[in-house]
Amino acid sequence: MTEASNTTFGVALALYLVAMIGYLHNFAYRRPAPLAAARVVAYLGLAAHAASVVLRGLAAGRVPWGNMYEYASVVGLAVVAVYLLVVERRVEARRLGGFVLGATVLIMAASTMVYVEPGPLIPALNSGWLRVHVLAAIVSSALFTLGFVFTVLYLIQDRRERRVERGAEQRAPAMASASVGSGLPHDLAVESDPEEGRATVTLGPERGNGHGGMPGRPTRRGRLPASAALDDLAAKAITFAFPLWTFAVVAGAIWAEQAWGRYWGWDPKEVWSFVTWVLFAGYLHARATQGWRGRRAAVIAVLGFAALLFNLIVVNLVVS
Amino acid sequence: MATGSFTRGMRSVWRSLRSMRTALILLLLLGLGSVVGSLVPQAPSSPARVAQLFADRPLLARVHDALGFFDVYGSWWFTLLYVLLLISLAACLIPRTRGLVRGMAARWQPARDLEGMRHFASGRVEGSPQEAVGRARRALRRRGWGVRSGGETALAAEKGLAREVGSLAFHWAFFLLLIGVVIGRGFGFTGQATVIEGEVFTEAHASYDFPPREGRFFDEAHRGFQVRVLDFEVSYRESGLPRDFVSRVEVIEEGEVVRTEEIRVNHPLGHRGVKLYQSGYGWAPMVEVRHEGELLASDPLVFVTDDPNDALRPWRGAIKLPGLVPQVGLELQLLPDPAAFVAGRPMLEARDPFLAYRAFRGDLQLTEAQSVFRLEKERLEEYDSGGVAIGETVELPGGVEVTFRDLRQYTQLLVKRDPGTGLMLATAVLVLVGLIPALYSSRRRIWVRAMPEGDGTRLEIGGFALQRKGAFDEEFGRLVRDLVPRGRVGVP
Ligand code: HEM
Repeated sequence: MTEASNTTFGVALALYLVAMIGYLHNFAYRRPAPLAAARVVAYLGLAAHAASVVLRGLAAGRVPWGNMYEYASVVGLAVVAVYLLVVERRVEARRLGGFVLGATVLIMAASTMVYVEPGPLIPALNSGWLRVHVLAAIVSSALFTLGFVFTVLYLIQDRRERRVERGAEQRAPAMASASVGSGLPHDLAVESDPEEGRATVTLGPERGNGHGGMPGRPTRRGRLPASAALDDLAAKAITFAFPLWTFAVVAGAIWAEQAWGRYWGWDPKEVWSFVTWVLFAGYLHARATQGWRGRRAAVIAVLGFAALLFNLIVVNLVVS
Repeated sequence: MATGSFTRGMRSVWRSLRSMRTALILLLLLGLGSVVGSLVPQAPSSPARVAQLFADRPLLARVHDALGFFDVYGSWWFTLLYVLLLISLAACLIPRTRGLVRGMAARWQPARDLEGMRHFASGRVEGSPQEAVGRARRALRRRGWGVRSGGETALAAEKGLAREVGSLAFHWAFFLLLIGVVIGRGFGFTGQATVIEGEVFTEAHASYDFPPREGRFFDEAHRGFQVRVLDFEVSYRESGLPRDFVSRVEVIEEGEVVRTEEIRVNHPLGHRGVKLYQSGYGWAPMVEVRHEGELLASDPLVFVTDDPNDALRPWRGAIKLPGLVPQVGLELQLLPDPAAFVAGRPMLEARDPFLAYRAFRGDLQLTEAQSVFRLEKERLEEYDSGGVAIGETVELPGGVEVTFRDLRQYTQLLVKRDPGTGLMLATAVLVLVGLIPALYSSRRRIWVRAMPEGDGTRLEIGGFALQRKGAFDEEFGRLVRDLVPRGRVGVP
C-alpha cells in the first residue's frame, strides 16, 4: 500500500508537470488546445494525488496528515483541488494554472525531502482536536498559497500597468498632434473607473499578435489578467483562509490544553502561527483602509505567507 | 501652562490609541516580541541554556538580560504592550459599539437625493403610491431586508447589519480573549508531582516536586484533596513505539475515595477546578539498606533517565547514608530488562531487573545543595562495585547490606488550575462566529419613494453598498425588477 501511494504520488507529480507546461504554453501563445489538454491532465493528476493520499492513510492506519511529508502532500492536493474546482470557474483565471501548478510541484518536490515511511504516531499526537487542527491548517495553508501566487502576479501586473500608464501619459501630447494612423501598433482604449476615480489605459490585447507582430511577444498589457482581477482573486483566497486559520489556531490551543495543560505556551510553533495570523489580519484591515489597498496590502500578504513558510520549514526542521 | 500641555499631550496619546492602526501595530510588536522569545532561550522554561549563554558569552547575555529577552513574556515591555493593546482595543471598540447601537435605534430620515446615489432606478407601477410602497415593503421583507422607516409613501431598508454586529463581536471577543489570558495567569497555578505507584499525593503547595508556579492573585487556594496512584502502565506497539501512558488513580476527599479514574495522554483528570495531566513516568526500585541489622532506607527511589525517548539507557539514582562514619553513598544504575540491554534492544518492560551499584565513602558534602540523583564525588572514594538482582541481597565491605526488594513505576503529573479556560473557550468560539459575517456579508441600504403619476405611481429607488459594491450592482438590478415588475425602468 505504501508503494502504491508513492507510485501514485509520482504519477500525480508528473501529470502536474505536464499540465503546467500546457497551461504555460497557453499563457504564452494563447492557443486554446493546450489549455483544454492541460486541464484534463491536471484533473487526472488530482485523481492520482487523491489516491496517493488515501492509500497513505490506509498504509499508516490513521488520517494521512501526521508528519511533514504528508502535510505538504495534502497541502498540494488542496491547492490543486481548490484551483481546479473553484478558482477555474472564473474563465480568466484559467490563464494562471501554470503558476498554481508550479507552486504545487515545488511543494511536492520539497515534501519528498522530508519523506518518512508511514507509521503510527506517539500518544500525544493521537487526538481528535489535533486531527481537526492539522486539517484546518492544511486547507488554510493551501488557500494562503493560492493567495500568495495571485498576490505576486498582482504585484507584477500592477507594475506593468503603471508603466503603461506612465508611457501613455508621456505619449499623450504627441498623439494629440499626430494625425489618424500615426503608426502606433496597438489600439488604445481609455477606461475610466468611477470607483477609483482614475482612468486606466489599456492596449487592445490581440491585435499585435496575429499579423506583423512576433508571435508570443508580450503585449504591453501583458498576458496576465488585469491587476484588479488578480487582487480580487488573492483577496478571496485570503479572506477564506483567515477564519480557517483562526479555527486552526483555536483547535490547536484546545489540543495543547488537553495534552500539556496549557492552551498557549508561546512555543515557536505557536509564536509563528500568531505572527501569521496578525499579518493577515493586518492585510484584511489594509484592504479596508484608504491608501493601503492595493500594493501595500499585497506586501503585507507576502509577509504573512513568509511567516507561514517559516513556521512550516524553519520551525519544524531547525528550531524544534 | 504646564498642565495645559500635559493634557494636550495626553489627548494626543489617547487619540492615537483610538486608531485601529495603533492597535494593529501594538499587536504586531507583541508578535515581534514573541519572535524574540521563540529564538532566545527563555529562563522559565530552559534555565540551563540561559546559564550556558551567561558562561559562554557574558556580555551578550547581560545585554539580553537587561532587555528582558530571557523572560520575554514576563518582561516589563511585553506587559506594557499588552496593556496598551487592551486600552487601544477598548478605545476603538467603545465608540464603534455606541455608533452601532445609536444607528439601530435611530429612525432614518427619508433620503432626498435619490438620483445622486450610486444606484438609482425609477419606473411606473400600478395602484396608488400607498399600495406601491406596501408592495415594496413586503417584497423587501421577503428578501430579508430590514425595513426601517417610511411612512405612507416612502421607505428605507437595510440588509447586512450582521457584518457590523459580527465584526464588533469578533473584536470584543478578541479583547476578552486577551483578558482571559491574564485571568488564567493571575489566578491559577501550575505544579509538577512525581508519585510512585501505591503512594498518595496531596494537592498542597508543599507537596509538589518544586514550588508550583502560582499566579499573583492565586492566594494559596490549593484544594487539599488527595490522589492515590494505584498503578501506572505504558503499552507499546510492536515497533516499540509507546501506544499509551495510563495512570489509574483514586481521588480522596477527607479520607474517603470519591472517584476512581484513569489519567492518560490527552485525557486529563479534572477535579474541583484542578486538572491533572499525564506528563512523564519512570522506574522506582525499592531498595532496603541495612547496617549491622539496622534498617537505614527502604522507601522506593525515583530513578531518572537522561533521555526518556531512549529506552536503551539504564536508569540512574543514588542512595546517601550520611549517618554512617565515614559517610557512604551508592550510585545505582537500573536495568529493567538486562537481557534486552545486552542484546542492544530497548528495555520497555521489567524482566528480571538488575541493579548495578558503585559504592563510595568519605564526605557526601550534604551541607551544599545537590541533586538527589547523583553523588558529589570530590571528597569520596570508590570502595566497591557490583550488582544485585531483584529479590537478592549483597553485602558490601564494611557491613552495609543492600536488598533489591521490588520494582515499581512512578508517574509524573502536571497539576494545573486555570480559571480563565472557560472564558477563553467561549471567546474563541465568539471570535469565529463573529468573523464569518464580518468577512462575508456586506451592508447595503435602499430607499424607495412613491409619487402619483397619471393613474398609477412612479416609484423611485436609490441604494448603495458599503462593501462589495460589485456584487450589489447585480443585486440592485434584481431588486428593481422585483419592485417594478412591468413598469418602464430607467437605470441611468
Ligand atoms: C483596535 C482597533 C481596531 C479597529 C478600530 C478595527 C476596526 C475594524 C473595522 C472598522 C473593520 C471592518 C472593516 C470593514 O467592514 O471592511 C475591521 C475588520 C476586521 N478586524 Fe479590526 N479593528 C481593530 C483592531 C483589530 C485587531 C486587534 C484585530 C486582530 C487581529 C482585528 C481584526 C480584524 C479582522 C480579521 C477584520 C475583518 C476584516 C474585514 O472585515 O474585511 N482588528 N476592523
